Amino acid sequence: MISKIWTEKFRPTKFEDVLGQEHIVKRVQALTNSLNIPHLMFAGPAGTGKSTLALITVKDLFGETWRDNYLELNASDERGINIVREKVKNFARTKSLGNVPFKVIFLDEADALTPEAQQALRRTMENYSTTCRFILSCNYSSKIIDPIQSRCAIFRFKLLEKKDVEDVLKKIAIEEKLTISPEAMEIIYEGSEGDCRRAINIIQSTSSISPTITSELVSTIISNAKPKDIKVVLDYALSGDFQKAREKLLDVMLKESISGQDVIKAIQKEIWNLPIEPEIKVKITEKTGEIEFRITEGSDPFIQLESLLASFVLAGLGK
Amino acid sequence: MGKNWVEKYRPKRFSEIKGQELAVEKITEFIDKFPKNKKKAIVLHGPPGVGKTTLAHVISLEKNSEIFELNASDLRNKKKLQAILRPAMEQRSLLKEKKIILVDEVDGISVADWGGLAELMSLIEKTNFPVIITANDIWSQKLNVLRKKSELIQLKEINYNLIKDILIQVLRSENKFIDNDTITKISIRAKGDMRAALNDLQTVAGLETPSEMVLDERNKEIDIFNAMRLIFKNKPTNDLLSLFDSVKMSLDDIILWMEENISAEYSGEELAKAFEMLSKVDVFKGRIYKQQYWRFMVYENIFLSYGISAAKKDIKTGFTNYQKPTRKLKIWLNNQRSKKKKTIAEKYAKHVHVSQKRAMNEFPIIKQILTSNDIRKELRLDEEEIAYLEK
Repeated sequence: MISKIWTEKFRPTKFEDVLGQEHIVKRVQALTNSLNIPHLMFAGPAGTGKSTLALITVKDLFGETWRDNYLELNASDERGINIVREKVKNFARTKSLGNVPFKVIFLDEADALTPEAQQALRRTMENYSTTCRFILSCNYSSKIIDPIQSRCAIFRFKLLEKKDVEDVLKKIAIEEKLTISPEAMEIIYEGSEGDCRRAINIIQSTSSISPTITSELVSTIISNAKPKDIKVVLDYALSGDFQKAREKLLDVMLKESISGQDVIKAIQKEIWNLPIEPEIKVKITEKTGEIEFRITEGSDPFIQLESLLASFVLAGLGK
Repeated sequence: MGKNWVEKYRPKRFSEIKGQELAVEKITEFIDKFPKNKKKAIVLHGPPGVGKTTLAHVISLEKNSEIFELNASDLRNKKKLQAILRPAMEQRSLLKEKKIILVDEVDGISVADWGGLAELMSLIEKTNFPVIITANDIWSQKLNVLRKKSELIQLKEINYNLIKDILIQVLRSENKFIDNDTITKISIRAKGDMRAALNDLQTVAGLETPSEMVLDERNKEIDIFNAMRLIFKNKPTNDLLSLFDSVKMSLDDIILWMEENISAEYSGEELAKAFEMLSKVDVFKGRIYKQQYWRFMVYENIFLSYGISAAKKDIKTGFTNYQKPTRKLKIWLNNQRSKKKKTIAEKYAKHVHVSQKRAMNEFPIIKQILTSNDIRKELRLDEEEIAYLEK
């Protein structure tokens, strides 16, 4: 059955259909043809084709029986490395079917694992090296410990160019009988931040309202998905009402399940629309950058954002 | 060794009470106004040895009242309490015009004695005489009702200088000599507890070579409210560095309490500075986790206590009603509410090869896609999940 969800329906199924990563695709295809792949690591931003390439690889290797020889895990969803190990153990117990001498385990978002968990993963990779190949995907290869990196062939995915995303969307538009205005296209690309999956989700969302996709409609969909209440939070802070601001912040983060990083992105963009002096805008941006850094380092996002809000209170006083 | 110095030098008159002027003023007002007060009971609360019981006795003497004293063990059962209290509540004193009822150390009541506490509440409502209650920790859960039905007076810890002055006076009256160093040490380690200081002084004075005495730190346990008061209300002192050692709570929980209450005390520049400190605390906490290097806890501790205390320009006066941290509770409530959202995201995530986390993040856009019935079927969403989407 063909999926009605476009990110699935239009997911490339052949190596030659993967856009924007030609150099990677060629090398992976060559490895696949030799029927002897090493462990692979796909590093790169979201929505650039990492999972897609992994799926194409196993389908190419195993043909019809790919489902029996493929295990997909997501490190950010599994509760701890022990669960991952348990699943790997059960999967690797039986030998692969067909003429490929191994099975494939795709571990998505491997950089969500702590360094200790990665050490455990490394041992698991070794224990099952005769029967299993791992494909690890991550956003940043720097977050993967060296011993794992050295055991993998590393492929770095590029952020998709505007042209690539547009080609994908145009193809979908023809099949689904949509019209997308050039302005709308522009806004979709901007809203997707080069993430192809997100771009497709945006047009499917919009098309559920109308097949004629205008810039206006797209803007509404995207802004609905954005933490618009961030403006309210900042207004409270600037007016000196810190307690209201922090209350609202928690509210927004919980209700919309947005991460601290998304909040800080929105704040950083909002600064330029605030009624404060240029000098203070620069100062508060510097602070925002520092706070974003602390969050990426693994601090408690809420405490860090509160600290940023306290700086906005100062900004509201002209300091 | 003669009489216990704590008893011997216990103040008898207002003029002898030192360092609790505000409390004296408030309790006088309460007694003078009686029975026109809205609330018939007053709670003197504060750490041990600051003069709660003393103050109750002094006021009864000053106001020429008979004092009728109860303690926590009398509250243990309802019948016993009734038998003791009822006549006192109803009869007029034979010798003196007035009567004051003192319930000492009410927080000594255990949870099993709730019956007694309830009885005390009903007596407070009916009483013809003012009721004075003393407590260490008025913020404990079991005293919720009492807190609402009584006026509250907080007695502060006695200032170190004042303790030292009193100790010197006592030594003079006793005709004893102890070197200044030792007196200073006793005053510091008392941590505001006058009774402890006098007991120590008497012990040391009884020794042959007093200055050689090794002073064990009185490891006094303090609650989070007092800890916060010390941090927010006073100038930072080196005592703050070990403050959280005496708070029976994990540092992680203390962080939540501080986070909740900084804005109750600070604003503007002080607020920004204090939160910068809290942010650093959190950064070091993250570093401990990442590097497993536990010495970073030292910095966590210093910034959380001294750092936040030093963020203020002036000391804060007055009473601040510190709040319990609510973040964890709100997160829990939200999780309950968004359970369906989670199961939908889970089904979607599996189907399209993304993590649940991402599906949750992009839920507003995905939700719009899930308006299609075909897709709902494809994902096998159940009725409750569909109902959630329709909401």
